[in-house]
Amino acid sequence: MNSEDLIASLAQDLPPVPRHALGRRLGLGILVGGLVTFAAVGGWLGFRPDLMLAMHGFTFWLKWAYTISLAVCATAAASRLARPDGRAGGWLWLMALPVLGLALIAAMELAATPSAQWLAMWLGASWTICSRNVFLLALPIFAGLLWSYRRLAPTQLALAGTTAGMAAGAWGATLYCLHCPETSALFVLTWYTLGMLGAALVGRVLGPRLLRW
Amino acid sequence: MRMRHDDDRLRALMLAGLAGDSAAHAALLRALLTPLRSFFRRRLGGRDDDVEDLVQEVLIAVHQRRATYDPERPFGAWVYAIARYKLVDRYRRSGRTTPLDDLPELADEFAFDEASDARSDVDRLLDTIPEKQAAVLRATRIDGLSTAEAAERLGIGESDVKVSAHRGLKALAARVKDGWR
Repeated sequence: MNSEDLIASLAQDLPPVPRHALGRRLGLGILVGGLVTFAAVGGWLGFRPDLMLAMHGFTFWLKWAYTISLAVCATAAASRLARPDGRAGGWLWLMALPVLGLALIAAMELAATPSAQWLAMWLGASWTICSRNVFLLALPIFAGLLWSYRRLAPTQLALAGTTAGMAAGAWGATLYCLHCPETSALFVLTWYTLGMLGAALVGRVLGPRLLRW
Repeated sequence: MRMRHDDDRLRALMLAGLAGDSAAHAALLRALLTPLRSFFRRRLGGRDDDVEDLVQEVLIAVHQRRATYDPERPFGAWVYAIARYKLVDRYRRSGRTTPLDDLPELADEFAFDEASDARSDVDRLLDTIPEKQAAVLRATRIDGLSTAEAAERLGIGESDVKVSAHRGLKALAARVKDGWR
């Protein structure tokens, strides 16, 4: 096809692009994926029975502060990377802050606990399944983000994939908190983070394949 | 300064297109043809079919992915990032393992400045040779048309295009030499 004809056909029937179309598209992908994950937490794992009570306690909010702050940073970076000339900027580095903060709290927890109980605190009751659950719960959100990216224009595909995986992992972990009754900071720091990193790794591997345009 | 000016002009067209103005959108895509052709030609060296293919891929991307343009930022940088991505993607698909860093970086977003400076020099030179030869050179060497396309645009025969281009280049070479003496 001649380039002039191509231009004529592209310019025909041009719908206006709403402001913040990119943000909406990403938000929609995360929201739809998040609803699937939410349904999976409710239907498959079950909400923790003491959820209402737990929401009045410190640890529940500590866990949410950790996962939500990571999710916000990763989502902001993912939306930057959705533009062809976008750089993740400081958002990825900023993710070190919640990790360091939680590590500090974990260290204080350890200091306040007799060393005989350290192992039990670290492994909790669900260390064998926690990372796997976080990882699995991330997948619907990751799929939602891939759908969002299909109309966007990432150019650093590996980084965009990793970041999308990390965002999906952190949002998935946020919803997993509605099920998981574990309370120690060391537990969350280890097993939640591991699950999120698994999702980020999948994004790293799939990004260059699935995000091409 | 000219780059700013050019960028502002294209950016204005882009914003109008985003608001749904299809005439502005078409004008924008048309304005991108020449810089895109020279961008890809410089990097692919001669393979004209590939050049036009890539130009069209970029136009389609500019159209389909226009929501990813951030109005707060320069327009040239956005198009340049798309063009660069399409070029790298082409290398990757054809199995060439050119690392990204080997691509000469165009520091000035899309080199609009450079292009328009060179443009005015060329204009001055072309004014010194016969009109038909100048028109043929403009069509084939600057706008990047093929011989057939140029013949169609100017309403003359293909052999006429070739002869005029040849004579025009010779005349230009003579002018340049004269200028140096």
